[in-house]
Amino acid sequence: MSKVLMKGNEAIGEGAIRAGCRHFFGYPITPQSELPHYLAKRMPEVGGVFLQAESETSSINMVYGAAGAGFRTMTSSSSPGLSLMQEGISYLVGAELPCVVVNVMRGGPGLGNIAPAQGDYFQAVKGGGHGDYKLVVLAPASVQEIIDMMQVAFDLADQYRTPVMLVGDGILGQMMEPVELADEVTLPEVPAKPWAASGLKGRKKPNIVNSLYIVPEDCEELNQRLFAKYDVIAAQETRWEEYRLEDAEIVLTGFGTAARIAKSVVDKARSEGIKAGLIRPITLWPFPSEVYAKAAAHANKFLCVEMSMGQMVEDVRLAVNGKKPVHFYGRSGGMVPLAKDVLAEVKKLMAGGE
Amino acid sequence: MKINIKPVTIFTANLGSGKTEISINFSRMLQQRGDKVSLVDLDIINPYFRTRLAKDNLASQGLKVICPPGHLVNADVPALTPAIRGALQASEGYCVCDVGGDDVGAIALGAYRPYLTEDRFDLYFVVNTCRPFTRDLAGVCKIMGDIEKNSRLKVTGLVSNTNLGRHTDLQIMLEGYTKVSQIAEQLELPMAFMASPQELVPQIKTILPEVPVLPLEFYMKTPWEEAFGEE
Repeated sequence: MSKVLMKGNEAIGEGAIRAGCRHFFGYPITPQSELPHYLAKRMPEVGGVFLQAESETSSINMVYGAAGAGFRTMTSSSSPGLSLMQEGISYLVGAELPCVVVNVMRGGPGLGNIAPAQGDYFQAVKGGGHGDYKLVVLAPASVQEIIDMMQVAFDLADQYRTPVMLVGDGILGQMMEPVELADEVTLPEVPAKPWAASGLKGRKKPNIVNSLYIVPEDCEELNQRLFAKYDVIAAQETRWEEYRLEDAEIVLTGFGTAARIAKSVVDKARSEGIKAGLIRPITLWPFPSEVYAKAAAHANKFLCVEMSMGQMVEDVRLAVNGKKPVHFYGRSGGMVPLAKDVLAEVKKLMAGGE
Repeated sequence: MKINIKPVTIFTANLGSGKTEISINFSRMLQQRGDKVSLVDLDIINPYFRTRLAKDNLASQGLKVICPPGHLVNADVPALTPAIRGALQASEGYCVCDVGGDDVGAIALGAYRPYLTEDRFDLYFVVNTCRPFTRDLAGVCKIMGDIEKNSRLKVTGLVSNTNLGRHTDLQIMLEGYTKVSQIAEQLELPMAFMASPQELVPQIKTILPEVPVLPLEFYMKTPWEEAFGEE
């Protein structure tokens, strides 16, 4: 093992390479451009394909092609680019194609700005494209976790034949932290893909990769099959981190960068005698509802911290189910919550304020 | 730090090697010696963690930062202000340039080549051997060569800034220094100085008494490092 200092965006790229991804299609957009930049250098070193498409719409459809041919493949973008990709993502779901899509979120709506944000939570977890579907959504909070999660992302995608999304924000993409990298890379085993359109290989009937189900009965069957799969994913793949939660009276929660800020607030509050704890969802879908329900048994209140006007807070409220009040503190449009302001909010709530 | 400093000092590097922190601290050092300093943000590559974000903080300490005006500070556009030329040609004081990462960042620097006469500037290539693309001689040659090509200028020295961010310790820095010194020797370039987090400087000075060391105080912080705004 050796330690390397990496940017979050570079770690996404290196993580993908170590997970056996050899086909990247993308279009540059701040604040994730170091990722295509990194892969443009690295892919030729490992015999992979780096292709800069002419748009995000093209990138996602190139991913459809590569995934349909059975390759581990990915694309990445930032908020406005992800909006452009939504049609393609729905098609990938419809064709049950495994792939990884990365969103390094920035300030919106609209063209917005290039500053960090988390306003695409709904788009990621509630189905940004059309039709009935879910994406597995991973939300790492450190550069090391990004590397590790890229492996998980590709594995889950193949295991469940589903697109997996990894979300970060401008800060996670740009910040630098040391990561442990194995010196010897053994490529992971990829499950057989007998459905892939990669040649007949002695079979009589060609594989067809399609998301057109013209007979309603067939399309309903697809929906039912997808949701049976989602039940399995929810039961087996939900991930989260608990921090100083055991005796917490106030539970802070957030994902990614907001969780890092909330964690520093938990420590500061504890040092001032306030029993604070943290729940950090690592999978945004499936959402770790049970841990909130459990925490609601002993905690008095919850505070959800986000870099948005309040999106994940809706899922927290569903999970807490009215047992305890769930408060919200957020900054939006590319502004980042300051730890001291979150701490002030905690103190206000603990003093009985609303 | 005892080194010969020319009127213009330019820092280039592979993306994320610590140019910005070094440029700021180098300027602060000159300023604290009583010299007049202009710090030029030539980073048109990466809109995050660049000098201009610390402008107010630095200006309050009396340091002149040259970067695009107010509404363009956060814009992802390759804007360069005319004041840069003035700073590069100033007849008194020092000018320190923080160039954007990699060969693409060096394009902006190339535009100023006509204003840089050989005896008036040093072009330093900052090396962090813990960064993925500059871990050895071959990596340094590749990135440095690309920067030289795009800037149409020759690197005049190396700076050792081997670090693992906030997890840097003495051993990492010393190993890095040894590596960068060897690389400098093979490239027949002088090793200009090494940079070190302030708190490690006394130990470095005991072990490497002959080496000029630039102490670093960090200006680029994540929101959880800025934490609670205590004075």
